[in-house]
Order: sequence, then C-alpha cells, then structure tokens
Amino acid sequence: MQIWHIAWREIKVNLRDMRTFVLMLAFPIVLMLILGMALTNAFTSGLSLGDMNLLYRDTADNPQLEASWDQFTAAIAKEGVTLTPAPVDTDGKAEVSADHYTAYAEISNNGIAFFGGVMHTLESNVLQGMLATFADRYNLAAAAMIDSPEKAEAILTDTYAGGDFVAETALGSEKKPGSIDYYAMAMTTMVAFYSCMSGSFLIRGERLRNTAIRLSAAPVSKGTIFAGKVIGCTAINFLCVAAVFLFSKFVFKADWGDHYAAVLLVLLTEVLLAVSIGLGCSYLFMEDGGRLVVLIFTQIASFLGGAYFPVDDATNFMKIARDISPMRWANQALTQIIYGHDWLAAMPAIGLNTAVAAAFLAITAILMRRREAL
Amino acid sequence: MNVLEIRNLTKKFGDFIAVDNINLSVAEGEIFGFLGANGAGKSTTINMIASLLRATRGEIELLGRNIAKHNKFAKMNIGIVPQDLAIYEDMTAYENVSFFAGLYGLRGSLLHERTEEALQFVGLGDKHRSFPRNFSGGMKRRLNIACAIAHRPKLIIMDEPTVGIDPQSRNYILNSVRKLNDMGCTIIYTSHYMEEVEEICTRIAIVDHGKIIADGTKEQLKSTITDTKDIWIGVKSAESLKVDSLRNVQGVTAVRMDEQILKINSKTEVNNLNDIIQKLIRDRVEIRSVEEQEPSLETVFLTLTGRNLRD
Repeated sequence: MQIWHIAWREIKVNLRDMRTFVLMLAFPIVLMLILGMALTNAFTSGLSLGDMNLLYRDTADNPQLEASWDQFTAAIAKEGVTLTPAPVDTDGKAEVSADHYTAYAEISNNGIAFFGGVMHTLESNVLQGMLATFADRYNLAAAAMIDSPEKAEAILTDTYAGGDFVAETALGSEKKPGSIDYYAMAMTTMVAFYSCMSGSFLIRGERLRNTAIRLSAAPVSKGTIFAGKVIGCTAINFLCVAAVFLFSKFVFKADWGDHYAAVLLVLLTEVLLAVSIGLGCSYLFMEDGGRLVVLIFTQIASFLGGAYFPVDDATNFMKIARDISPMRWANQALTQIIYGHDWLAAMPAIGLNTAVAAAFLAITAILMRRREAL
Repeated sequence: MNVLEIRNLTKKFGDFIAVDNINLSVAEGEIFGFLGANGAGKSTTINMIASLLRATRGEIELLGRNIAKHNKFAKMNIGIVPQDLAIYEDMTAYENVSFFAGLYGLRGSLLHERTEEALQFVGLGDKHRSFPRNFSGGMKRRLNIACAIAHRPKLIIMDEPTVGIDPQSRNYILNSVRKLNDMGCTIIYTSHYMEEVEEICTRIAIVDHGKIIADGTKEQLKSTITDTKDIWIGVKSAESLKVDSLRNVQGVTAVRMDEQILKINSKTEVNNLNDIIQKLIRDRVEIRSVEEQEPSLETVFLTLTGRNLRD
C-alpha cells in the first residue's frame, strides 16, 4: 500500500511539472515535425517519371501491323506518352540527341528500331520497355494468326485494353518508413530514453530537498521507498511516451504498424531501463557526477541510436558504440514489428531492456542498503 | 516514566568519534533542550534517535523498547522537524502533510482529519491549497512542523525549528511547542538561540566534543557556575569601543556585543566594575545603563565549553 502512496506522489507531481510537459511532450513532437518535414527527401526511395515524348516514323506497309500500331499508340497516349510522327526530312536520332524528344522509333516491315536519348534514361527505358512489349505481343499475335485468328485478336485486344506495358518488379518489397514515420519512432524511443534524467533525480532530489530525512524517519522500509519511486517514475514517463505515440499516430498519421501491444511493451521496458540507468548512476557517481554522466550518455545514445538521423553505415568503433545504444535496440525492434509485421522481434529488445534494468536496479539496491540514510 | 533512555551511545565516522559514550534519559512530558555548538555531536545523536543513523555502540530505548529491535514501533512514535526545511515545494500545504502522514499508515477520513488538524495547529488552516513556494520563511517552518505532528507522535524532535524567521513566527512556533507539550508530547529541542531554550525547556543538556558535559534544569546549570558573574552595560554607540582592551581588564573572561548591550563575563571575586567603566569613558563610549547579574545560560555554556553557542 505504501508503495502506491509513494508512486502516486511521483506521478501527481510530475503531471503538474511544466518541465515534464516541455521536455517529454512538446520537445519530441516539435522535433518530430521539424525533422520529419525537413528530411522528407532523405526517406523517399521512389523516383518521379518525367515527360515521355516519342518521335516515330512508320514506314511499314503491312495493314495488320499498322492497325496494331495505331491501337498501341492510342493506348500509350492514355498513359501519358506524347507521340509525334517524324516529318520526312527529319533526322530522328539528331532530334533525340538535341533533347527535343525522349526517344525515336522507326517502324518498318522488318520490325522496330529504337533509339533512346541519354538525357532522360529512365523515361527512355520505359518507352523501350513499352515498345518491346508491343513487339512481343505483335509477334505472338502474328504466330497465332496462322492457326487461330480469333486468339490473335484476343491477344491484341487484351494488350491494348490493359495498358500494362511495363511490369513492376521490386528488389525489396517490404514497406519502408517515410520521414514522419521514422521520426515518430525515433523521437518516441528518444523520449523513452530521456527517462534516464528523471531516474537520476529520483533519490538525489529527495536528498537535495531534505525530504530524504522524513522518508528515512518514516516507518517504511528502504525497499518500499525504492519500489514506489521506481514504479511512479516509470509510470509517469511511460504516460508521456504513450502520449507522444498517440499524438504521432493520430495527428501526424505516423505508421506504427498493427502490433500495438508489442510496440508499447518495447517502449515500456525501454522506460524502465532508462529509469534504472539514471537511478544507478545517481548512486554510482556522487554529487552531481551522476547527473552529468546521465546527461552525456543520453545525448550520445540518442545520437548513435538514430534519434536525429539513421546511423546505418557505421564501421569499427562507431558500429560497436551504435549497437550498444539502447535506443538502437528499441528502434530495430520497432522497425521489425512495424514494417516486418513480426511482433516476435520485440522479444530480444524486451529481454535485453529488462535484464539490463534488473542489473542496474540490483546494483542500486545494494548501494542503497549500504548507506545509512537514503 | 522515561520516554527516551540512551545508554553508552557512541557513533564513529572512521576514526572520528562524533558521539562519545552518551548516557541520557528524557522523562514523559519534558521539553528537553539539547545545546551544543556546531559539530558538538547533537545532530548525530538526534539522527540516531530518529533511526536515520545506526549507532556504533550503545542502545536507545523509546517507551521501553529498543529502537534497533522495534524500529517500526520507534518510528511510529517519533516525529522529526529537521533543521533544514523538508517539504515539497511543488505540492500544496495539504498534500505535503497528507503525504508524510500517509507514510505512517493513515488513510481515508482519518488521514484527512489529522492533516486538517495539523495545519490548523500551525496556523495554516486557510492555506490548504497554497504551494510552499509562495510562503514566507515562517510559514514554511510551520509547515515543516505540521508534517512532523500529523501522525501524533509521542516524542517530537525539533532541530532548530526557528532558524531564519521573523519574531512573530518565532513566537507562534514557541507557543506551538508549549501547546504540543500540554497535549502530552515529549519534546527534544535544539536551538542556537539561548533565550528560546531558557524560555521553554524544562531540562537542558550541554553537549561538547561528543559528550554530555552538563545536564539539569536551567537553575541547576546556573548554580554550577559560582565563580563567574555577568555585567551588562547598555551603550548608545559602540563604534569607538576597543573590545580587546576590555579583555585586558583584570577578572574579565569574555566580552561580546549583543545589539546595544555589552555583555561581560567576569570572575566573581574581582571587583572590576570601576576599571571597566573608566575604560569605556576613555574610549568615549556613551553608557546608558549598568547591571550586574547572576550568570545566564549563555555564560554557563561559555564557561563549560569555552566557546559561544553560535560558534
């Protein structure tokens, strides 16, 4: 009962504290917005397609080919391709080289000759793909015509009706975070880790306010005070983290995947870990040393953990430093949960967070027992 | 019946002996003054009584029970008013008292009732919802007391409860101490203001270098000093006074200025009043009054310890 009495005080006082509001709520939300907006391009993996202008010359006298060609040009025009018949005295290749057109195609009874420009390779490749598809389908239809003319008709009709002249094939088909999605996750884990600071002030604050004397003089054990304060501090910090999570989800429409329970559990254990580290440092380093260590550690861990930008290509020492950042564990687990739809990816992070937290809490408890007062 | 019994109490910090084999008893209903200069060992003793420090040797009994063996019982029956304010600035007066009283197991309507009672007692009944950061020094001191009494302890330890406050608040606190005593509380009181101790304490112990060097009522303590008298000389201005030259007068053992009064300790057998006055006239000090008095508690303290209480 006394544990909850002490825990409730922590929650109530922190809820009123303007610093809690600024540091744990306003700061990450503003940063999320600024970084998310400013670094949008850094997270975009797609490319935009420019204008596609095809210059062509049709010298074929095969009525079937001509009919097919007409159907084909009508279909690709609908897809945004501008087709221009080349005047008789025009050098198509020179026009493309001069960047007046994206590509040049010559249709004759022998087939299609294609010349793509080097200025717009992407658009040129798309046009080449379309013409190749046309040629394949026409050849198929021509072969079918010999045995079964009605099938040939069906092949050509399907081809032009669908307009699918370029098939989409991706190497990494998993969905990836946009900038707002990334910073929603990074800022939330960063705020969770900021609980280090309130953890470092948990008992030190009582000493500075002299209230440690009253707590020690009251008929409650050190264990009760310890547990009450850790629970209270973890609860209020997790509330802030949950508020940032909800704000990013509903206001910024950040993608948090479908496994909310796993996401929140990772964040909860990260808060517990941060509180434990902060509390442990306040006992391991005397006076203001603990606060300084926590402040520096928090900033380094945030930076290496990818709070400000992704740190994916680190090597040697930086890689080791990055990999031992608790924020890194959390971010990796969350990425897997959200984008890999793998809620089991939460388990290593939860286990690691809980184990390290338990180690720090045990060290703190031993040091606390050795002291005469708090 | 003794509320507190201390036997052979010793506390060492490394090689330093802060409290050296103290024996002491405080009877029920006493206001027990604990006097000592800074570093004399009184705060260490108080901290051991309040279970904030563990004794190196010896034992403390509260209401007949050893506090090391019956720690929870002892804590339930002790209220501590620390020298430094021990309140939460970010909680209202009501929440402060209620939180600390809650640590003593009070809940629900009883907690509310006792919290109200404690705030009323210290004159903060109309400041329930106010935050201590908006309080004067005196109000904070009173809240500091309220936090220690809501659970109705049998023994209240007050460590300099009137430090740095205005005379009005000091009077309020001293009256509160008397009222608490009338209500049946036994009080251990420490102060740097000798007049406070003289005014309210029924028994006094003087601590020096970790030992109790005198213990008794103020009359008993004063009677131990037979070879010293106090000469109090009221002066208009002491700017031209050469205090050191007064110390050279035969029989004078100590000289100090307390506002407009020159307080001189002198040996009883030496008649040196004329020499002192002549010295003052030579220094062009305007004399307003001269009184020869029985030794004060301050003189007793100075004689026994060789230093002032505020040193």
